[in-house]
Amino acid sequence: MRKKHKLSGIYLAVLLLVMYLPIVMVVIFSFNESKLTASFTGFSLKWYETLWHDRDIKEALFNSILLGVISCAISAVIGTLGAVGMARADYKTKGMMEYLSTVPIMIPEIILGMVFLAFFSLLNLPFGMTTLVIAHTTFCIPYIFMMVKARLVGIDRSLEEAARDLGASQIRTFFDITLPLIMPAVLSGSLLAFAMSFDDVVISIFVNGPRLNTLPVKVYTQLKTGVTPEINALCTIILAAIVLVLGISSLVQKRQERRRGELSER
Amino acid sequence: MKKRLAALTLCFAMAASMLAGCGEKEEDDNKELVLYTWEGLFPQEVLDGFEEETGIKIISSNFDTNETMLEKIQQTDGKDYDIVVGDDYIIEQIVKNGLAKKLDKTQISNFGNINPLYQSQFYDPDNEYTVPHGAGIPLIVYDPAQVDFEIKGYEDLWNPKLEDKIAMIGSYRAVNGFVLQTMGKSMNEEDVQVIEQAGEKLKELAPNIRMIQDSDTQNALLNGEASVAYLYTSQVTAALAENPDLKVVYPEEGLGFGIMNLFIPKNAPDELNAYKFLNYILEPENAAKCFDALGYYCTTNAADDLVNPNLVVPDSVKKGEIVQNVSAEANEAYEKNWTEFKAACD
Amino acid sequence: MEKKKRSGLFLTVAPLYIFTLVFVAGPLLYMIALSFATNSDGWGTLWKFTLENYKKIADPVYLKSFSQSFQLAFTSTICITLLGYPFGYFMAKQSAKWKKRIMLLIMVPFWTSSLIRMYGWIILLQAKGVFNTLLVKLGIIEEPLKILYSYPAVVIGMIYALLPFMVLSVYSSVEKMDWSLVEAARDLGASRAKAFLTITLKLTLPGLLTGVILSFVPSMGLFFIADILGGNKIVLVGSVIQDQLTRGSNWPFAAALAVVLMVLTSIMIYLYRKITHVKDLEGFF
Repeated sequence: MRKKHKLSGIYLAVLLLVMYLPIVMVVIFSFNESKLTASFTGFSLKWYETLWHDRDIKEALFNSILLGVISCAISAVIGTLGAVGMARADYKTKGMMEYLSTVPIMIPEIILGMVFLAFFSLLNLPFGMTTLVIAHTTFCIPYIFMMVKARLVGIDRSLEEAARDLGASQIRTFFDITLPLIMPAVLSGSLLAFAMSFDDVVISIFVNGPRLNTLPVKVYTQLKTGVTPEINALCTIILAAIVLVLGISSLVQKRQERRRGELSER
Repeated sequence: MKKRLAALTLCFAMAASMLAGCGEKEEDDNKELVLYTWEGLFPQEVLDGFEEETGIKIISSNFDTNETMLEKIQQTDGKDYDIVVGDDYIIEQIVKNGLAKKLDKTQISNFGNINPLYQSQFYDPDNEYTVPHGAGIPLIVYDPAQVDFEIKGYEDLWNPKLEDKIAMIGSYRAVNGFVLQTMGKSMNEEDVQVIEQAGEKLKELAPNIRMIQDSDTQNALLNGEASVAYLYTSQVTAALAENPDLKVVYPEEGLGFGIMNLFIPKNAPDELNAYKFLNYILEPENAAKCFDALGYYCTTNAADDLVNPNLVVPDSVKKGEIVQNVSAEANEAYEKNWTEFKAACD
Repeated sequence: MEKKKRSGLFLTVAPLYIFTLVFVAGPLLYMIALSFATNSDGWGTLWKFTLENYKKIADPVYLKSFSQSFQLAFTSTICITLLGYPFGYFMAKQSAKWKKRIMLLIMVPFWTSSLIRMYGWIILLQAKGVFNTLLVKLGIIEEPLKILYSYPAVVIGMIYALLPFMVLSVYSSVEKMDWSLVEAARDLGASRAKAFLTITLKLTLPGLLTGVILSFVPSMGLFFIADILGGNKIVLVGSVIQDQLTRGSNWPFAAALAVVLMVLTSIMIYLYRKITHVKDLEGFF
């Protein structure tokens, strides 16, 4: 038993290592003096300096984060409620609706982008954050919806029924019983959806507005003229920021746990 | 429980208010200029210089292909942007569809700085709508250390010695075009039968192709993946900057060239600012900075003495041919050649 | 009471219904309509009914792009399943602390640009890259391997891009599994393998299905990987559509290709569901 446990640990570690290899390369070459990736010619911070002076990139980064958070929040609400409702309801249109809502991830992005462009101008919507949020929400919903649904399938409904029998309101049952049970799925779905939104190029390029660039669009259009290590530097900074946030949050959590522990000891 | 509900409501409210805020247009105080261009078309230095001189704030956004740009301009009826860039063939459509504004040349005192070689083209015969901003000629570049014979023209690309060694840009018309040129035909051939013949010949090139990519193609040549490359001008410039030993070939069969142009969409919000900007970048010093950064041939001949000498147009360009729009039928044949060619490379 | 319950239920699904109808069904209908329209000479679309666009798909060149796409999607999905299922399964069996850590480790790369990560692979795999240099130095090979711009390179890229979807779906399914069932089977004398096949696999099938769908479907359309790592030598439907929309400027034909692709993908998913007998996702089609 012990040995098996170890083996599975090795498997996880090796796969994770391979996943991180290209990222390590990106980080290393952000410090490369030469513009080329053919060889490492010397340590330099000049790409970070270029990045620092790049006003557009900073703006694009902010837009992307904002866009990701808003579309994720809206999709999480719509997707989760939808999945819970669908699991309980027996509407005739249910199958059709479920299929429809997953369509945005079933067709190539480019088609979706072009169709959105045509459709939004048909509706006379001004291009900008609004159109971006709508477009991103459509493809974020399926991720959350499917994750939550897969989770709901195995959940013991007797818990909810028991709560209802004990007189809890529907809303209360949802928040106290159902939601905590499906929370992991909502979270992983949202994380995935955020990642998708934060990385989307094709659709954004069609529906973004004149005053708005998202980061991936910026990166993608920059790639057209040749990859510069400036982008590698940006990638490295984003990674560092994520690691920093994660580190702080785990520290805070630990401290809270310790305090809780002290309290209970008292 | 209540806390959670409150948090949820807050989230909703926040999202809603943000959406509302973003939907509103910023107040127009005539101090803005909205650019819609390729990424990196203007160096930051030039943009900063313009902002400083005029006090106009530049807002720039980018597109990835000419077609995306056309679609966007068409759908928004040209009212979101002040200055847009596009390649020659797409400008023809823009002008035809009435999406460009007739330039008021009295506003552009530097209009005379433009090299006439790049004016009066098929898309704008009377120079009413466009200001050229850079010209490109796709060229063959190779590493003499890796290739043991001299490449003189397109025909040499079919040499069996180059098996799995060529990196190529993904421009279907340019590639179809050079095949037609090796057959002694025009790059803008309309006869579907001739195009199909070119397609057959193109397929024979497949075994020599290492990769086809539209962006960063020169990298394959520099990192040793390929020893010959057919590149856009900016890529040629970039490759030479990294490895001066590379040899550039002006193919003997003829050249294809393209011209980028700036235009003002018909409903541009700040027309006057657009003129100021056009005038600014036509100043010789500013133009030189632009072309040096861009790596395309300089179209403002007043700047010829200031710019990187490699970017001053060589005489051979005068013999070049511009890729033009062809009939839907011919275009479809070109498109099919291209798809078949890519599939044959596998 | 019953009525109240129903209206409450309706409130939960209403946002999904409305959003989907307006922003998914609407554009979708537009696309279908477009696929029957005529491409005008030059730019733009004529709203004149035609079946030409669908007839054109029968051309061998386009048919080949469909078969290429499906082949690639199958290969990638199988690899992803073989690698990802054990990963999700083992991950769910870790301690709570490690579960969280691994989850984060999987998600972190996801938040950086996928385009850049693909370029990371180029740095690794190129002729003078880290991988080849290492192998040559170790004396395993003499000439650098030509990995880049080949089929395997594209499959590697696909696996890399889509593996997390499989892992997360399987994980969430294994995590909430009722292990007492497996124990019971073992107590009744079932071998470990049999217990896995009859109980674990069956219980985690919904998660596996979600994972397969989330990797199969995007791999049909992720043509930029075939572009960056495959050097554009594998022609996928996605890139044909892209070409038609941009260079070819033939929107109706692109729409027709997309409609066919969508229908085919839906059929694949439907068949897969039939074969695996996952009833829980019955409503999916």
